[in-house]
Parts: sequence; structure tokens; C-alpha cells
Amino acid sequence: MKGFERLPGRHSLFWKLACLLIAFCLLMIWLSWSWGRYMEQQSAYLSDKSREILTGYAAGAELAWSTQGSAGVDAWLRRMAERESTWVGVIGNDLQSLGSTPLSDKESQRLTFLRGLDWPVSRHVIGLPWMKVPFPVDPGAGSLVIELPQRFMPGRYQLFWRVVTNGVIPGLFTLLLCIGLYRLLIMPLNQLREQANAWRADQLNTRMSRDATSRQDELGELGRAFDHMSERLQGTVRLQQQLLRDMSHELRTPLSRLRVACDSEQDPAKLRERLGREIDAMQRLVEDSLQLAWLDSETTPLPQEDIQLHALWDILRENACFESGWPASRLPCLLPADSWVRGNLNALAQALENILRNAVRHSPQGGCVQLDGCREGDYWHIWLQDQGAGIAEDDLERIFAPFTRLDGSRPGDGGFGLGLSIARNAVQRQGGRLWAENTGQGLRVHLHLLAR
Amino acid sequence: MTPAAVGLPSILTIEDDPVLGAYVHEQLGRSGFQVTWCQNGQQGLQLARAQAFDLVLMDILLPGLDGLSILTHLRQSHAMPVILMSALGAEADRISGFRLGADDYLPKPFSMVELCVRIEAILRRVALDRRPEPPRASVPEHARVLHFDDERCDVSCQDQWAGLTRSEYRLLETLHRNAEEVLSKAFLYQQVLQRGYAPHDRSLDMHVSQIRRKLKAIGYIEREVRTVWGKGYVLSGHDEGL
Repeated sequence: MKGFERLPGRHSLFWKLACLLIAFCLLMIWLSWSWGRYMEQQSAYLSDKSREILTGYAAGAELAWSTQGSAGVDAWLRRMAERESTWVGVIGNDLQSLGSTPLSDKESQRLTFLRGLDWPVSRHVIGLPWMKVPFPVDPGAGSLVIELPQRFMPGRYQLFWRVVTNGVIPGLFTLLLCIGLYRLLIMPLNQLREQANAWRADQLNTRMSRDATSRQDELGELGRAFDHMSERLQGTVRLQQQLLRDMSHELRTPLSRLRVACDSEQDPAKLRERLGREIDAMQRLVEDSLQLAWLDSETTPLPQEDIQLHALWDILRENACFESGWPASRLPCLLPADSWVRGNLNALAQALENILRNAVRHSPQGGCVQLDGCREGDYWHIWLQDQGAGIAEDDLERIFAPFTRLDGSRPGDGGFGLGLSIARNAVQRQGGRLWAENTGQGLRVHLHLLAR
Repeated sequence: MTPAAVGLPSILTIEDDPVLGAYVHEQLGRSGFQVTWCQNGQQGLQLARAQAFDLVLMDILLPGLDGLSILTHLRQSHAMPVILMSALGAEADRISGFRLGADDYLPKPFSMVELCVRIEAILRRVALDRRPEPPRASVPEHARVLHFDDERCDVSCQDQWAGLTRSEYRLLETLHRNAEEVLSKAFLYQQVLQRGYAPHDRSLDMHVSQIRRKLKAIGYIEREVRTVWGKGYVLSGHDEGL
């Protein structure tokens, strides 16, 4: 069955090419065979004009014989010798010369094989063929015998025709085939080349034409892949520019604060403390951005392991309690004890930590954040529910874009708007999904993860 | 630090940035290390081959010969511990550094405290490797006591096995041997997981979390693995303090 699987698809160019080439080969073979035969036949017979002339000679000989007998024939033969350089004789039905000079032995021997006017003349015969032309009026009276003059020999242009049928015509057909193949194969490639050249000139918004991408065959696939690639390229470049703009903006904030501190602060201890704080913030920004870029650009799959969600939540809860001063009871985990997922520990921990940090930051006084979930077939669907104010429906998707900070979030509370984008990338890198939902009692962030 | 070496542990620093290099040189000297500072990769490699240092601390981007090449050359003949530092910070660099045999990787910028913790972690691990295993400290006989079984790689309490994994056992055993002493994460990574510690690496935390759950499950509550913020972990019986 493996051989069949390797067969090209129904719309593959293979079939087009195969049909075209097979048809072409058959056409060429048929053409050269049938035409060659036709030409050979044509060139084996005397032309109408030579037949007419030869019949005319026979008529002259008959006239000479019927009017003046042997003497007339002799005279006629002498006249003929001037016109034709080949042997000419007039014979009766007894195969004896009608003229006065009898035939030599050799000539008699030649008379045993004479050709009619409408017989094919073999090209393979040695020397010139001898023709027998009966008298036109009274064929029983005698015939003209003539060694066919060279100029009446058929197939004089044989070489020429052979060149035409075996060389020029197939050549022309092949040229047509080449043009067809060129149009079929190379023209679409030219379009691809133009597209690539457009990229080289930094015109990333150019796309392939519709007929190039709507083709069903491999070239259409290539065109679509090209389009996809340029879309991805354009997206990457756009993201890069956006990141650069956002990052320089984010860096400028601590830098300007440092500038102010540098200019105004008098107390070295205070200045040092401030310096430390700003450096920490900038370092975190750079690390988060690098992390995001790495998660986004790296394509090798992360090493996967079995992760017990309870154990993971214990780590995160311990961290969060230390950071926020919350008691552990405000961060309950309602999952069953044996909930295991398959994923990358560090990436999943980072994702959950960022989501948890976000939830804690937006919780009201005394609020709690809980982890819950249920098994859905081969997946664990878990969610983190806070008791904050939730967010606008329009922003549910936007919060996962880098450097997004919603109006409600306080400036300078440590976030750069990178946490959730890192979380989403981290979850997607291990084959999961991450999305947010307003429940009315707060924001619920869902994770869809492969179960163990 | 190392009982084998008489005097101060010697460190070779290969760092081309004069400001950072001078600072590290001075601070490490103050922390009780004998520091040799070299600004060129080629020279650094020669020095490292010629003298026996307890540890090499080097940048990745260096004039002459880059840090990864030095590491490759050095590993052909020497087993001395190496810490790489780099401002590149990319995950790929970290991974290739470890693959070439680096003992730790420190992304720039770093604090001196962080650097010292990592250097001490490595020196301590090396010292432990050289020293024959000391007889296990005799634990005061409690009603409930943890029995360590090296063969099974597991611990038991009142005939109940905790079902630890190999790494969890090594971790608990290390903590147990140094009971009531705070062990830094850097050291525990070196000693138990045999690799450097990175900020987003949660393997150690996960092992600790599992140990806590498993000890709780077999009803062992006399001592527990506690987190000491900013420092590390300790196996401790006291509720208060630390």
C-alpha cells in the first residue's frame, strides 16, 4: 500500500506532464510512420507529367509505325535519340523490334522485365528502369520501350522531403511542446521570482495573483506557501517594530526617573536605593522581552514531562503568598488530587505564575483566587478565577498582546504588560490553549492542557 | 572552603570589560578568594592550562578567543569547574554552554551576592566530591524517625515507604545530612541535579513540593523542608526562626 500512498495527487502536475508527453510521443511516432509511408508511396510512382510525355512518345511511335512501318519507326527512333539520351525501342507483341535493326541479346534480356507506367518504380533498382508503354490507340500492335530518363525518375526531391518529414516537422512540433511546457511550468515560477524580488525590495505587502494561488497542482501549493510565508514575514516585521517601539518607551520611563533622581537627589543612600529599584525594573523588562522573543522564535518542541498540578500550585502559592502577603487559604486549589498534565514544567510554571500574579494584583481587599478544572477527554481544562472587576469584553483578547496595559491598571505597579503574552506563548509552545472570560464575579483565565 | 587546598581558593577571571573586571576582581578578593584577572581569551586559556585554579569564571564574548572555544579546549585536558557569564542571556547560549561542560551560567547583569553564592555552591560540591562520605550524623531517637535506604532510594517512617524518586531522594538526603543548615538553591542544583541554576528553572522547587507531599502522606511531621526566602531550603524541625 505504501507504493500507492506515494502516488501523486489527483491534481498533481505529474498527470498533466505524463499525458502531454505520452500524447506527444504517440503523435510523433504516428506522424513519422504514416507520413513516411505516404511519401515513400508517392515517390515510387511516375508523376502525371512524365506519364503524359511517355504516352505522347508512344503515340508518336504508333503513328510512325502505322503510317510508314519499319522505316518510319527507324526515322522516329533517330529523332528520339536526339531528344533522349537513354535507350529507346519500339517492339511488337512478339517482343521483336519493329524497327529495321534487330535487338541485341542483352536488350532482349532486358525486355523480359518491363514496367508499366502505373507500376511503382523501386528506388532500390540498379541503374534506370525500363518502361513499356503500349501504343495508345491500338495496344495490341506494339509498345514503346524506353529506359526511363533520369529526369522522369520519381523521388528526385526525396532527400528534401525526408528532411522535412523527419527533421523539420518534428522539430516544429517539439518547439510547440516546449512553448506549452514553458507556459505551464515556468510562467508561474516567474511570478514567484517577481514576488521574491518584491521582498528583496522590502515590499512585504505584495501577494501572488489569484490564478497563481488558486491552481490545484504543486505550483499552486508553492504559490500559497509563498503567500503564507510573506504574511508571516510581514507579521514578524510588524511585531518586531511594535516591540522595539514599546520597549524603548518602557525603558524611557525608568531612565527618565533615573535622570530626575540623578539631578535632584542629594542623599546618597536614597539615591542608591532608587538606583537599585530602577535597575531591577529595567532588568526585568529586558528579561521578560527576551523570554517572549525566545518563546516566539524557538520552534524546537520543549521537553515534556508529567506534572502534578497540586504540587505545582503549592510552589506558586508559596511564592505568591510571600510576594503579596496573602494567607495560603485565599489561594485554594479545588482540583482532584490526582490531576496530572503533560507539559514543560518551567514554561507551565511561568505561565501559571504570571496569570496568578495578574489575578492577585487585580483582586479586591480580602478577595481570593482559586484554581479549578475538569477533565475533558485527553485534556485537562483548568481555570483560575479571581474576584476582581473583570475587563471589557473587547479587551479579552487584547490582554494577551505584548505591552498591553489596560486603563485600570496602575502605572508603576511593576507590570509591563508582558506577563500574559509570555503565559500564552508558553502554553501554546506545549500544545495547550489559553484564553480569558468574564464570569460576572471576576475574570476567569482558562487553560487547556494535555493530560498525562 | 576546600580542605584539600591550603589557603584561599584560587579563581581565574577572564573578562575583557575593564570596569566589570576590576570590580569583580576587587569584590572577590574581598570575599576571600585569590583572584587572577586576565582580559584576553588566548592568554586566559594558557593561564588556565598552566596553573591549577579552583574555578574559572569567564565571559563568553572575549577578544582573542571566545569563552565557548576556551571551554572546549579546556575540557579536553582539565576538569576544573567553569562558570560562564554573558550579557547575551539567550536560552540557546545557556544550553550550549552546559553542553560544552560549563558548571554554571550567570546572565549579566548579576549582583556580587549572586556570584558569590554560585561560586561557593560549586566549590562546596567539589569539596564534597573529593571528601570521603562522612558517617551520617546520628539523629536523636524519636518515635517517628526517617530511615534512609540507599538501595531503594527511598525513605520510610514507621514501615511506610514514601515512594520518592531518585532525585527527590538525593535532595532529601543532602538536606538531611546538612540538617538545620540553609542550603542555597545554587548548591542544591549543583549537588542534586548536577547543573547550574536559572531563574525560571522550577525543577528543584517541584522536587521539594513533592517531598513535602510525600512526607506528609506517610505522616512524618517532625521535620519539614522549609523555604528560606532569597537563600534556599533547609530541613528543619523548628516552626519558628529562620
